[in-house]
Amino acid sequence: MKITDAAVYPYPCGDTTVRRFALEAKALGFDSIVAMDTPAGSFDGVEVFSGITIQDALVKDVISRVKRVRDTGTVVSVCARDNGFNRAVIGQKGVHIIRGIHAADKNAFDHVTAKMAADNGVAMDIDLSVLINSRGASRQRAIHRYHDVLVFERRYGFPVTLSSHARSYLDLRAVREITGLCSLIGMDDAGVEKALGAVGRITTPPQPAVRVVS
Amino acid sequence: MSPRPPTLRENRRYILARVEPAGTVIDQKELYYAIADAVTSLWGDAAGGIIMQAVVTAEEGHVIIRCLRGTERELAIALSTVTACRDTRLALRIVAASGTMESLRERIRVQKEQAPGEPVPGPDGSLTDKKEILITRCNGQKVDVIEKGFKNAHRLFVTRSDLENS
Repeated sequence: MKITDAAVYPYPCGDTTVRRFALEAKALGFDSIVAMDTPAGSFDGVEVFSGITIQDALVKDVISRVKRVRDTGTVVSVCARDNGFNRAVIGQKGVHIIRGIHAADKNAFDHVTAKMAADNGVAMDIDLSVLINSRGASRQRAIHRYHDVLVFERRYGFPVTLSSHARSYLDLRAVREITGLCSLIGMDDAGVEKALGAVGRITTPPQPAVRVVS
Repeated sequence: MSPRPPTLRENRRYILARVEPAGTVIDQKELYYAIADAVTSLWGDAAGGIIMQAVVTAEEGHVIIRCLRGTERELAIALSTVTACRDTRLALRIVAASGTMESLRERIRVQKEQAPGEPVPGPDGSLTDKKEILITRCNGQKVDVIEKGFKNAHRLFVTRSDLENS
């Protein structure tokens, strides 16, 4: 199982190049990172997955963009919006992660969406940058929302990913620090370990339920 | 309040943290305020009063932070939410926790010996957009540069390979 940071933004989006991100991520205990809008590769023993984030788009635009990158190994993330949008997106083949659930509508994620996410193997992302950088009411709101997500996760078993959304290597956090931060939202050590390894699971094609033995 | 006898004193723990980016000049008092703000906003005034954090020393790119024994975990989580000291962006990477400062000073000495060595002049080069850069620090593969723009300069974190490949 690979320990993965599910979203970093290398240069030119941020101030750190993808190689430097890989170097620092290795020192902090990661095996792989998902680098947005960056070609995939492997640097210093750290695997770099290519990722895209689709935001402020209609469902049909999401579908067309997902079709363009399907079967390329790109990790496709979509920013959460209202409940109907989220359900429609989760049902699309090729969508891996739903991001920004803390900033979406209050009813954007309910038990039906949770069950759909579990059935389709779509992960909900927990954005650690909100826990690190926010202060006051906005952090409290995010903690509350992530608590809700984890309640559904325990009930329905959909994947959860953890991402630093780092634009600089200074925003990366070590695995031990992430474990501490996730304890704020009620996630135990086993849950953190499972979440850090979730990117590998969601990008691997599912095993067929029925295998024909000739 | 007069000093208590040793048996009545509260036990303290010390946390050693490395300051990144390397070469950041730390004002001990400013860092104390940054950490106090992080602790208070995360755990509140009541817990902050129990943790009793203090920056004991800031030397050689490391800081030693004191807290009450049993509150190391809370302080460590709060330290991971420190992102700036006044206007300077930084990150505190926790290295170790100990009951004495001397053992942490020993850790600093060991880390210094294991470091790749004195900063050496970095390779010449430029990034893909061909902007002029100035190398400020070079440590092993890691290179910190300042990219000179039209109006202002940005600090970038790259590797030797990035400069050699471009």
